Amino acid sequence: MRRLLPLFSFLFFLTLLLVWWVDSRQPKPVELIPTLTGQPEYCITCHADLPEISASHPVETFGCVSCHGGERLALDADLAHSTMRGGANPSDLSVAEISCGGSNCHSGSEADDRDHIQRVMTSVQATYAGAIASIRYTFGAQTDLAAHFGIAAVSDDESQTGIKSLDAFNPAIDSNPMLQKFGENCLVCHLHAKPQEGEAFARQTGCAACHSTGEHTMSTAIPYTQCNACHNRGNYDLRTMTFVERTDQPTSRLADYYQPISQFTKCEYTLDCVDCHTRDETMGDGDIHANQASIQYVQCKTCHGTLTELPLTKTLTDPNDIVFRMAFLNPIMDLKLGDTIIVTEQGEPLWNARQLPDGTFEMVGKATKQYFTFRPVMGTACEQNPDQQESNYCHECHAVEK
Amino acid sequence: MTNLSRRDFLKLVRDGFLVLSGALALGGVLRFLDFQPNPAQKTQFDLGSATNYPIGSRTALSEIPALLIHAESGFSALSLVCTHLGCNLGEDESGFACPCHSSHFDAEGKVTHGPAAKPLSPLRIEISEDNRVILHTS
Repeated sequence: MRRLLPLFSFLFFLTLLLVWWVDSRQPKPVELIPTLTGQPEYCITCHADLPEISASHPVETFGCVSCHGGERLALDADLAHSTMRGGANPSDLSVAEISCGGSNCHSGSEADDRDHIQRVMTSVQATYAGAIASIRYTFGAQTDLAAHFGIAAVSDDESQTGIKSLDAFNPAIDSNPMLQKFGENCLVCHLHAKPQEGEAFARQTGCAACHSTGEHTMSTAIPYTQCNACHNRGNYDLRTMTFVERTDQPTSRLADYYQPISQFTKCEYTLDCVDCHTRDETMGDGDIHANQASIQYVQCKTCHGTLTELPLTKTLTDPNDIVFRMAFLNPIMDLKLGDTIIVTEQGEPLWNARQLPDGTFEMVGKATKQYFTFRPVMGTACEQNPDQQESNYCHECHAVEK
Repeated sequence: MTNLSRRDFLKLVRDGFLVLSGALALGGVLRFLDFQPNPAQKTQFDLGSATNYPIGSRTALSEIPALLIHAESGFSALSLVCTHLGCNLGEDESGFACPCHSSHFDAEGKVTHGPAAKPLSPLRIEISEDNRVILHTS
C-alpha cells in the first residue's frame, strides 16, 4: 500500500489541478440589476454583444429574464438556458402571455389599446380559421364554410362576429387523407403553430414573426420582406396538399413583392405592407373572425377616396391618441395636435398619411422612411364607378407591366 | 552527486505532489476567503455641501437618477425613474419624458401623459450635521 502512495498523491494533485482549471475557465460574472425587477442577473456575462432589442425595452430597465426566462444566476450555458421560455422565441404564442404580457405591457385592456396578445391570439393570422374551414369543406368534412376550428382553441364571449369560440383543429378526426396531409404540411406557418425545426424558423411564430426584424431586434417599422417570409415564400399545391417553395430569384422589388402572378400599382409595391394595412387587419381586432376577408378591408379608396368621396380623415385633438404612441415608437413623422390624418372606414388611423394644406396628402414609409405625396381621386379624370372599388378595377388602368 | 535510492525517490515524488496539492488547496481556500460578493445596490448618496444648491435650484442627478429641489421650504427630491416600467427619465422644456414609452411628467412630477399612471416618487433627503445633503432612494 505504501508503495502506491506516490501514485495516490499524484492523482490527488491531478484532481485538484483539474478542479482549478475548470474553475478558472468559468467566466467572471457580469451583474445587471434591471430597474423593473431589482433582481441581479448574469446573462450579459456572455450576451453583452447583443444589440438592444428596441428603444422601448432597454436592457438596463428590463434585463433579459423578464422576457426570456432562464436561470438568472447561472454561468453554465446549459443550466442558464434550461428554463428559458419559448427557446429562441419568448414571443411564441404558447408563452407570450408570460413573456410579453402583463397589464403594463402587452396584455392590458382594450380601452387603453394594450390588449395586443389577446387580439393576436384570436386573429386569423393565428387561428388560420378560414383556410381550415375552406379545406375541410372542399374535402367534404363539413357542409358549409363556417369556421369551427383554429390551429389552437380560442374563445371570446364578447366576440362581435357571432363566432364565440374555435376548437383546436385535429386532422386525425377527419378520415380523408388529404385533410391529414393538410394537417401535416400546411399548418406550420401561422402565428400559433408549433415552430418548424431549425434556427431559420425559430422566430416565425408569435409576435416575433412580424416584429423581429433583425438579430435580437423588435420593431414596428416592418419591411415587406418580413411579411414575405410567410406570405410570399411559395404556394400551396392543393392536388398534393404540399407547400411548394418559390424557386424564382426576384431581382426587383416589383417581382419580389407578394404573389408573383398578381398585378400591382406602383404604390402597392413601392410601399410596405404596413404602410396601408392596419393593426386590426394584421394583429386582429379582438374578435374571432371566420377568414381573412372578414378582417382585411383597406382598399385603394381608403387613401385615395372615390370620384364622389374624399378619403376619411380626422384631426388630432387628443394628446393621448394612440397615433402619438405609434409615431413615438417609429418616429418617421413629427405628428402634432391639429394635424389631419387619414382614417379607415373602421376609424383606424393611417398615421403616416397626413393631409397637406392644399388638400393633397403626404405619406412616409414606415420601414423605408421614403416620402410620398398623393392626391384624392375626386376632381381627377378617373372614371371609375364609385361602387366598384376592389383593387382589380384600379389595376385595369394603373397596374404596372412586370 | 549522491545516488538516490528508489525508495527515497518515490518518497520525494510523494512529498512533492502533496506539497503542490497543499499549495493548490491553500490557494483555493484563500480565493474562497477573498471572495467579494457584488456590493448591494447603493441607496444612500452624499450629494455634497448644501451650499452647492442655492434656494430655487433644481438639480438633475442622472447617475442616481433623481431631481434635487431646493425651495424656500427646504430640500426635496424626486425619483427620475418612470413609474410605468422603470426607464430613466430625461428632462425636457416642460418636465420629464420617458424615452421608452413616452410617458411625461411635469416639473412637479405629476403625470401629464401616459402610459404611466402614478406621479414620480418622492425621495427622502437628510441634511447632515456638517450641512451635507444626503439622498435616500429607499
